[in-house]
Amino acid sequence: MRTGDGPASSGARPPVTGPLISLRGVGKSFKDGQVQAISDISFDVEGGEFVSLVGPSGCGKTTLLRLIDGLIRADEGEVLVAGKEPRPGPDLAMVFQSARLMPWRSVVRNIEFALAVRGLRGRERHERAMALLGSVGLRDFANAYPHELSGGMQQRVGLARALAVEPKVLLMDEPFAALDAMTRETLRRELLLLWSRRRTAVVFVTHDIEEAIFLSQRVILLRPRPGRIDEIVEVRLPERRWELDARALPEFVRLREHLWDRIRNMVREGAELEELGTAFPDAVPPPDPPRS
Amino acid sequence: MSEEGTAVRLGQPRAQKPPAEAAVDPDVAARARRRRSRERNLVILLRVGVVVFLIVGMYLLNARSGNLTMPKPSDVFDESVKMWSDGTMLRGLRESLTVLVLGFLTAATSGILGGMLLGGFRLVGRVFDPFVHALNATPSAAFIPLVIVWFGLFTEAKIIVVWIAAFFPILISTASGIDQSDNDLVEMARSFGASRFRVFWQVMLPNALPSILSGLRIGAAVATVGTVIAELQMAQSGLGGLLSAAGNRFEMDRYFAVVLVLMVIGTLITGGLRLVEYRFWNWRASQRDANR
Ligand SMILES: Nc1ncnc2c1ncn2[C@@H]1O[C@H](COP(=O)(O)OP(=O)(O)O)[C@@H](O)[C@H]1O
Ligand SMILES: [Mg+2]
Repeated sequence: MRTGDGPASSGARPPVTGPLISLRGVGKSFKDGQVQAISDISFDVEGGEFVSLVGPSGCGKTTLLRLIDGLIRADEGEVLVAGKEPRPGPDLAMVFQSARLMPWRSVVRNIEFALAVRGLRGRERHERAMALLGSVGLRDFANAYPHELSGGMQQRVGLARALAVEPKVLLMDEPFAALDAMTRETLRRELLLLWSRRRTAVVFVTHDIEEAIFLSQRVILLRPRPGRIDEIVEVRLPERRWELDARALPEFVRLREHLWDRIRNMVREGAELEELGTAFPDAVPPPDPPRS
Repeated sequence: MSEEGTAVRLGQPRAQKPPAEAAVDPDVAARARRRRSRERNLVILLRVGVVVFLIVGMYLLNARSGNLTMPKPSDVFDESVKMWSDGTMLRGLRESLTVLVLGFLTAATSGILGGMLLGGFRLVGRVFDPFVHALNATPSAAFIPLVIVWFGLFTEAKIIVVWIAAFFPILISTASGIDQSDNDLVEMARSFGASRFRVFWQVMLPNALPSILSGLRIGAAVATVGTVIAELQMAQSGLGGLLSAAGNRFEMDRYFAVVLVLMVIGTLITGGLRLVEYRFWNWRASQRDANR
């Protein structure tokens, strides 16, 4: 599956066979090896796929995203995006837990920043940024400054900025975790809608199991210390989930039960995992939501 | 939660207004304005009170202890009028401002450039850090004998004294502003593939601007002090020269007339720089307004 073994051919793209993102036996440690963040992680993400990484905090979710983005390099194993070692830039875009907008730039100029990195100039850049703002419903706030926006609106700008560069892969690191419940729910639906139109591959990190099931086609459950894959489950829910209350569907309920079972097992398995119970807000799954 | 309205109608034209033009209840606005202007008037009134108190205090002290301890405010006023009309003050002011402005401008240019080197290149910063702090900790008056030996007693030498005084605060706050730049924003920029050059100019430097501006403000204040010290210690000239001549002849009314001018200069410079900061930093300015 390696490309680039042969002589470098300028111009012609190496044919990309296989998955868009592929991790093979990836391990990464910090502090001169004292902290093993993740160990032996392998999974693939196909183009256009929506995959969630779920796990308690400290199990290496952010580290995985940074590896895929190419911000850091793996100690062991191999990370490939479109058949190559990832580099921050052309194919990848990130959305963070805090929106990370530059407070000295207006909203539209924040989006233009990402476009400028891609080499867009002048009117074209501005119009593209405005179009993206329109797609997240913030066209009227183009000239506002980030601090004038609510948390949810800031997060939308962060999303628009990432989408603006038309990435092949959208990497999202707990983007809704700091928002209130209502805003969070709205943004989830918006994200699904945007994804269904654009079909960018999404790797979505969360510690919220329901969020993971609601959004993704596949959920990768991680366990901590060091971060490893516990299980990968397929989510077979209808495509247009934003139109209905997916939480009431039997498949949704079943998956949630199943994932919580796995987490309870994690908790039971070792004394070293004691804190896990508290890492998830409530280690007991909430009762089924009332059917509406 | 005003944004929830926009979310549901994703991708449709929106009727929402940007925050700056949001409809306000005229009554509420008027009441707030009235409250603010009452407060402002009170502040002005109290300030006038302080000035009256000082003037009365000067008269009392003068009556008790005589002209040598404290001149009569009216004598100070008469002397001021005289010095302004016969051109003495204007000449002194011109000489002082030449030294001050040229010294400050060279310090600002070299301090900001040097600070960019120290803050932008980790190695450079680490190497020079102890030397910069040692020189900064040395009172700039200590360099005056050396400057006299190297450069003489006149305007160029005085400019160099001012430069030495103002250079280090500007250098240090520029370097630390860049060094302590927001890691989250830097990672955001890098994740979009921004070059080191772009990260520096478009993220780290703007992020450091508040710190640079406060360095300039400190530098300007220190430069004023340096100017007067140089004028007292080297070939007497400018306002410092007038100060020393009046002091030596115990003409305290004349002395106070010059001190008043120095006070005004200092206030104008720092006030002007604060205004620049305020205008420049739209986002910080509006943050401040919001906190009023
Ligand atoms: N830059 C770093 N330096 C040191 N330790 C780190 C660094 N990044 C992550 N870690 C450690 O690696 C582990 C996984 O971190 P992270 O990927 O942030 O987890 P998550 O995002 O799932 O909460 C944690 O134990 C964390 O302390
Ligand atoms: Mg994290």
